[in-house]
Amino acid sequence: MQAEISCNRVRKVFGKGSKAFEAITAATFSVEKGEFVCLLGPSGCGKSTLLMMIAGLESVTEGTILAGGTYMTEPRAEIGIVFQDPTLLPWKTALQNVLFPIEMMGRSRSAYLGRAMELLRLVHLDDAIHKRPRELSGGMRQRVSLCRALIADPSVLLMDEPFSALDAITRDDMNIVLLELWERYRKTVLFVTHSIREAVLLADRVLVMGRSPSQIITDIKVPFARPRDFAVGETAQFNELCAVLRREIEIARTSEDATRH
Amino acid sequence: MVEERAPAIPSVRGIDLSGLWSILALSQGVIVLPVATAFAALVAWQAIAVYGHISPTILPPPMMVLEQLVVNFWLILKHTIPTTYETLLAFGISIPLGIALAGMMVYSRLAYQALYPNIVFFQLIPKIALAPLFIVWLGIGTPSRVTFSIFISFFPILVATTAGLQSVETTMLRLCRSLRMSQWQILTRVRFPMSPPFIFSGMKVAVTLAIIGIVVGEFIASQQGLGYLILFASSRQQTDLALACIAVLCVVGLALYGCVSLFEKLVMRWYDTR
Repeated sequence: MQAEISCNRVRKVFGKGSKAFEAITAATFSVEKGEFVCLLGPSGCGKSTLLMMIAGLESVTEGTILAGGTYMTEPRAEIGIVFQDPTLLPWKTALQNVLFPIEMMGRSRSAYLGRAMELLRLVHLDDAIHKRPRELSGGMRQRVSLCRALIADPSVLLMDEPFSALDAITRDDMNIVLLELWERYRKTVLFVTHSIREAVLLADRVLVMGRSPSQIITDIKVPFARPRDFAVGETAQFNELCAVLRREIEIARTSEDATRH
Repeated sequence: MVEERAPAIPSVRGIDLSGLWSILALSQGVIVLPVATAFAALVAWQAIAVYGHISPTILPPPMMVLEQLVVNFWLILKHTIPTTYETLLAFGISIPLGIALAGMMVYSRLAYQALYPNIVFFQLIPKIALAPLFIVWLGIGTPSRVTFSIFISFFPILVATTAGLQSVETTMLRLCRSLRMSQWQILTRVRFPMSPPFIFSGMKVAVTLAIIGIVVGEFIASQQGLGYLILFASSRQQTDLALACIAVLCVVGLALYGCVSLFEKLVMRWYDTR
């Protein structure tokens, strides 16, 4: 099977000279086509930076990133992104916001209208399609943002802590909505989060990223059958897996402290 | 029917009365108090001017100013028209000028670096000191006054619009780049639609400066306009007429400011953003 995304010893340094700061030391991993991978790590480990590099929004200092078999140098239409912020345009309705990428790509809006409506229906926003962002709740806005990322039918969906600004209950809802969408479209997803439970609930594979050196330290397969729901979160196996991941993050942190002292 | 209606009336009256009281209480701070204060000041002014035996040349009582407004109504109106017209012309040109310059500077980093420091530096010059030069350059007609007025009124629009265009958040710009939008698309489809609240605040400052520019121009060289009439009346020691003209200038300024506010409300409702 061909990898959809493949990173090879990716390094990122911000700034130059004495002010240089190494955000990522050497990240190596790949994501298969149709796979849902969560990138888990403590804050400041460079996971968001890595995601932005894969999106083509940050330059790569060293190493290579391949997406769909070709080198990633600039943003592409076949990569959809969901940011932590919904980043909706306040003067556009939910539907207009979803269609915004289509408009900007110079494609025919009417050709995508059906798809936009379907996406909004799948995220349960049927009644809100003509509402503007300020009339929507935080969770609803992020659902619009999710639809917008999917409108142009990208092959890859990159998500940068998309639900971390939401309250716990809304966050659970969003996880279920995302799982439903994934079941429907089976996109390749790379999802950055710092919530262990969220990662285990959503992913086929969880990558744990450490800090200094910032690299992938663990790669664990999540064995649970799909489609999944919250019931899976109550099984012993789920909690065991979370505990394993928590230990991995803990080990990464202690070794980091050991090297520092 | 009658029996049913009879007890209903007092309660209706009661509601009306409480409603009236609440309106009075509400408007007390916003309308009643400032108006009453201004009225008291006018009454005091009238009393001091009349009973203090102060010469009307120094301080004409408000009633005399009002009388001038009535007696010289057509004369004042005749001079109000060119002042208003020139102010509107100057304001009307400085809006697109300020917005276009701001757009250009945000679009091109080169233009920003080349122009912005110079424009700011230019603004540090006491601009009124330059007014006579505009007469030298452009003569004593409408063009020199309007150009001078544009010169002092486009700046707040430029600064406010620039701030508005630059108010787009980093994540939003990242989204735009991920959609491979061109700089022109980002400017016209995201930055400009995000800016109206900023542009309007700049316009509100600019409209008052536009009037100042025209009146100063009229002071220097003009055969018409309220600025000219104020100068004319002062030279003949007709302080009451000069004050009447100033009162009319206030009304014109208020009206123009009100128009900008109204336009802002309409646009913001249309945008439905805040």
